Amino acid sequence: MLIPHPLLGLRDAQEFSYLGDASLLDRPDGLAEKAGDAFFSYVYLRENPAGVHRELWFHEQGDRSWLVVTRNTVTHEILGAELARDVALRSRSPRERGDPA
Amino acid sequence: MPDLKPITALGGDTARRLHHGALELEENTELALASLALRRGATQPTLCGIDLPGPGAWALSDEIAAFWTGPDQWMVEGQNRADSDFASEVAALCPGCSVTQQTDGFAAFEIRSSAGETPILQLMAKLVNIDPIRFPSGSATRTGLEHMSVFVIRRAAHHIAILGMRSAAGSIWHALEKHILRIEDRKP
Amino acid sequence: MRLSGGLIDRSRTLRFIFDGKSYAGHPGDTLASALLANDVLLMGRSFKYHRPRGLIAAGSEEPNALVELRSGARREPNTRATMAELFDALEAQSQNRWPSLRFDAMAVNELFANFLTAGFYYKTFMWPRAFWEKLYEPAIRRAAGLGRLSMEADPDAYDKGFLHCDLLVVGAGAAGLAAALTAARGGAQVILADEDYHLGGRLLAESHSLDDRPATEWIAAVVAEFACLPNLRILPRTTVFGAFDHGVYGAVERVSDYRANPGICPRQTLWRITAKRTMLAAGATERHIPFMDNDRPGIMLGGALRAYANRWAVSPAKRVAIFTNNDDGHRTALDLLARGVEIAAVVDSRAGVEAKGQYRVISDAIVSGSKGRLGLRSIEVTRGGSTEWIACGALGVSGGWNPNVHLASHHRGRPVWNDSQQTFVPPAELPAGMIVAGAAAGRGTTHAALVSGAEAAVRVLNEIGIAATLPELPAAEDAPANLSPLWHVPGKHRAWIDFQNDVTVKDVKLSHQENMRSVEHLKRWTTLGMATDQGKTANVTALAVMAEMTGKGIAETGTTIFRPPYTPVSISVLGGGNTGTHFRPRRLTPSHQWATSQGAVFVEVGQWMRAQYFVRPGETHWRQSVDREVVATRKGVGICDVTTLGKVDVQGADAAEFLDRLYCNAMKSLKTGMVRYGLMLREDGQAWDDGTCARLGETHYVVTTTTANAGTVYRHMEFARQCLWPELDVQLISTTDAWAQFSVAGPNARKLLERIVDGFDLSNEAFRFMACANLSVCGGLRARVFRISFSGELAYEIAVPARYGNALMARLVELGQDLGATPYGTEALGVLRIEKGHAAGNELNGQTTAQMLGMGRMVSAKKDSVGAVMSRREGLLANTRVLVGLQPVDASEPVVAGSHLFAEGATQETATDQGWITSACFSPHVGSSIGLGFLADGAARQGEVIVAANPIQDQNVRLRVVSAHFVDPEGERLRA
Repeated sequence: MLIPHPLLGLRDAQEFSYLGDASLLDRPDGLAEKAGDAFFSYVYLRENPAGVHRELWFHEQGDRSWLVVTRNTVTHEILGAELARDVALRSRSPRERGDPA
Repeated sequence: MPDLKPITALGGDTARRLHHGALELEENTELALASLALRRGATQPTLCGIDLPGPGAWALSDEIAAFWTGPDQWMVEGQNRADSDFASEVAALCPGCSVTQQTDGFAAFEIRSSAGETPILQLMAKLVNIDPIRFPSGSATRTGLEHMSVFVIRRAAHHIAILGMRSAAGSIWHALEKHILRIEDRKP
Repeated sequence: MRLSGGLIDRSRTLRFIFDGKSYAGHPGDTLASALLANDVLLMGRSFKYHRPRGLIAAGSEEPNALVELRSGARREPNTRATMAELFDALEAQSQNRWPSLRFDAMAVNELFANFLTAGFYYKTFMWPRAFWEKLYEPAIRRAAGLGRLSMEADPDAYDKGFLHCDLLVVGAGAAGLAAALTAARGGAQVILADEDYHLGGRLLAESHSLDDRPATEWIAAVVAEFACLPNLRILPRTTVFGAFDHGVYGAVERVSDYRANPGICPRQTLWRITAKRTMLAAGATERHIPFMDNDRPGIMLGGALRAYANRWAVSPAKRVAIFTNNDDGHRTALDLLARGVEIAAVVDSRAGVEAKGQYRVISDAIVSGSKGRLGLRSIEVTRGGSTEWIACGALGVSGGWNPNVHLASHHRGRPVWNDSQQTFVPPAELPAGMIVAGAAAGRGTTHAALVSGAEAAVRVLNEIGIAATLPELPAAEDAPANLSPLWHVPGKHRAWIDFQNDVTVKDVKLSHQENMRSVEHLKRWTTLGMATDQGKTANVTALAVMAEMTGKGIAETGTTIFRPPYTPVSISVLGGGNTGTHFRPRRLTPSHQWATSQGAVFVEVGQWMRAQYFVRPGETHWRQSVDREVVATRKGVGICDVTTLGKVDVQGADAAEFLDRLYCNAMKSLKTGMVRYGLMLREDGQAWDDGTCARLGETHYVVTTTTANAGTVYRHMEFARQCLWPELDVQLISTTDAWAQFSVAGPNARKLLERIVDGFDLSNEAFRFMACANLSVCGGLRARVFRISFSGELAYEIAVPARYGNALMARLVELGQDLGATPYGTEALGVLRIEKGHAAGNELNGQTTAQMLGMGRMVSAKKDSVGAVMSRREGLLANTRVLVGLQPVDASEPVVAGSHLFAEGATQETATDQGWITSACFSPHVGSSIGLGFLADGAARQGEVIVAANPIQDQNVRLRVVSAHFVDPEGERLRA
């Protein structure tokens, strides 16, 4: 498989290690109420689709970036890849991102 | 000067060399390395006259060289400065950056061809899964070589460098030597 | 017999041996063609029935002529004689026969043929059950299989490599050559691969002319032009065996298989080819027509007869007959006639057919039988109601051609049945980036192949932005096949479909009777298509026969799934060529050289080689060395290379906050110049990895991990940095290799270090337990020192740039002679920490929690950190097992790690299991074996005697529950 690294172009999948569903980006707040329930879902429950899947790959033998790759788990077609950091920052509030004001 | 004697990554007193056909393989024991990462809010520094290169690139000036290793991260090379506190020197030039000594983290091997780029391309085809056409002079990347993570730098059309974990220097040398000895004069 | 002409070099003669007899051949011959030249037709015995067999084909699809090639360690079974290039002194043996090919005792199986039909093993060998292991299985194992392994280590070298191109052309026949020429002229980076040693494909086997000249001339001109195109790489003797994801293809190049002695040259190379576009121009394979007794030596595919005559200048017999359902059979007759072979008759199943030359045609007729056990002698021809026996030494059978759609179907696409061509063509859904041309696409006339290859090349190159133009192509034949379907000749007795696995038409019928309705079940029930040839000459015929029986039609019946490899690939070449000690990378510690000189015995720890213990003169057993090292460390000072533990440099304005979220215990409060033990949990609440966190500066930390988890912890830290908390200002880099690190432990540790530091105050007041600092040693060498202890003794870890590690180790031992300085290895390291009660990998095995380790209160409730929330789950908290020390009641008995713990007198079963022993060793301090383990309610059971059960070695040992801290439980030595 070839992964289309957003900065480096197509790279051999053997340079990467795979973590799983990109939902791992949305870590619940550990100090919130009912954190236990939220973490149970976060740690154990997955959609596991046969089809388009957003997933986390680590470019271990490369630039050590984490990527969110959109891949069809049935055909292996890869529809896109972005830096996980960018995806994670997008879902933060401005204050959390450290933006001024 | 400390009164301890250093040894090379391959465990010798001097750099190891191999000459076969048009190819020369040499352990580069005098290469200083420091990793450089931007902190938040820092502006990208200009180091000794070079603009830090973008993804996949390697840049050279009179004193130092640098290659991109990740978003906002580079590796700085200082030839013949392996004994110095290279990280401190680089840190002084790069305020607001995180700099870490890496000289002894890596074993560096230089491979030069005396017959143009053909032997280099033949060798790369056996070592790494990199399209040589998209890896001209001034390119650098990290990739896998015989199950080890290495940096590959195309310093010139006829000259590449391989940087890998110092502890695996013997395994890296073995892989390079094995394939260099097998390069025959055949059309690539 | 030898004919004139052919692509062989008659100026040189090669001698070879087959089944002990010596023969002659020429360069350009295969073993198959050379045997035919010497009138050898009998080449093997079939798998199940041990029937005498000969060649049916001329290429890689050959099912029968499998030989053991070469002798000694390089002997290779199941080599197709058609793919073995002849070399001088070649040795080959036939297979699956005893004592000889002509007199095979196992042919007795033929007498039991009725009991050995498809699926017989589902119904036999069942009773009595006791006979299975002792009698049936060994007997079946001896009878099964074809060739024999040499059972010696493979002495050859193998290689692997990576290639990249714009266009990969698979197959160098008419279509492939036209495509490669078009693409290379257009400036594309092209790779052209063919399994054969000559380029040209079927052009070499036919007598067609191109522009009124022999095809070989056009091929030679193209090859000459190829030599001048640096953007084209030709890979002959290379089989592209699989189409993988995203344009990645696997190929095996037989670099020196064909040489008598490859020397140091690799034998085969595994190529991973990444292609932007791929053209499958793999040609087509001919099918035969099963009839009664159709498997005699001398009965071959018609196209193969032409190949042997035209390319290799041989004929299996002087007098040959043809059986055909299309015009192709007549082509064979004409070609053979032109070379002086007598044609007994062309038996054509179609009505109203006339001869196309000077030979007899029997139209509207079929071949219904044959005679000649060790070699064909005659065939039975049936026409209308009458039969006739015709004498002949060989029969060419032409049942039509099947496009080689394999690679096109590797991504689960199913080939499509084409009714007008009566054949399967490539699937509509091809692997991404692939196009099919020539006979593989069902465009198999020479003209169609040339044109489709060139046109397809232009098309795909256009897709990737390369403008190529159609070259001038030579004029070539374009004759249709005019095939009239005849899938098999019905008869009373067995007609073979799959020669290699000995599967007949009757077997297909049986599987239908047994209700095997899916073609996948037909395959597994009969084993049709499951041999090393994967049914290349049998599959389509079989499903046509099945379609007849079900009445469904071939299109609806469909094919089985195609999977790589196209032809067999050796495990050696898949291994990539690294064997022995170089099978995987080896990492050496900075003091490896010194340790070797000191008699260290090394142990593999993952990829690392670590000194396990040091052998002193007179020591003959490892316990002597290890016990000595442990005692010496606790008495004087021991030194151990601990470089292998992962080290991560952490910097940035938010480094403290970042680490506070990674560790379950408080870390933000760590002051500069101090080190703290840190425990990381998995997000599911289990304990994961432990280590130390040293704060060298306001925004500068060094984190250590266990050796085994160095990589995964680093990965996790990057995940946290980039994905969980990207808003934090943190930078990470691994420094495991950069710093040589040594543990200096024992009552004399401070005294020893004082002898190397450059004026640094190491007193207890100035440098307390758990302090750290940057300093210099040995006259100005940059170093770091951490006052931490794994052994429970007064201890430090000293780090210097790795290139000085070897010398530092030697210096410390030398300077510490009078202090009892002793190098120690991983065994002593283990004993020391077990005696102290420190958890390590065995205790952090992924099944334990901080609470079980006695560190429950370390998990801070005041902050969120990885795993904290889940660690508070009821189920985990309800587990009462905690870490305890264990000591045998009888000091002479062993504590065995892995033993399970039970109350004395309890029956030993899962319900009464109270825990297990994680670590064990002999303790010089205690004077007996000791262990650490997890025991239910262990804290309240100090002093109790329990039983450690080791049923694997039939041991039950009585152990006393004690404190895990066997040495210095108050920690006085640490703080000295």
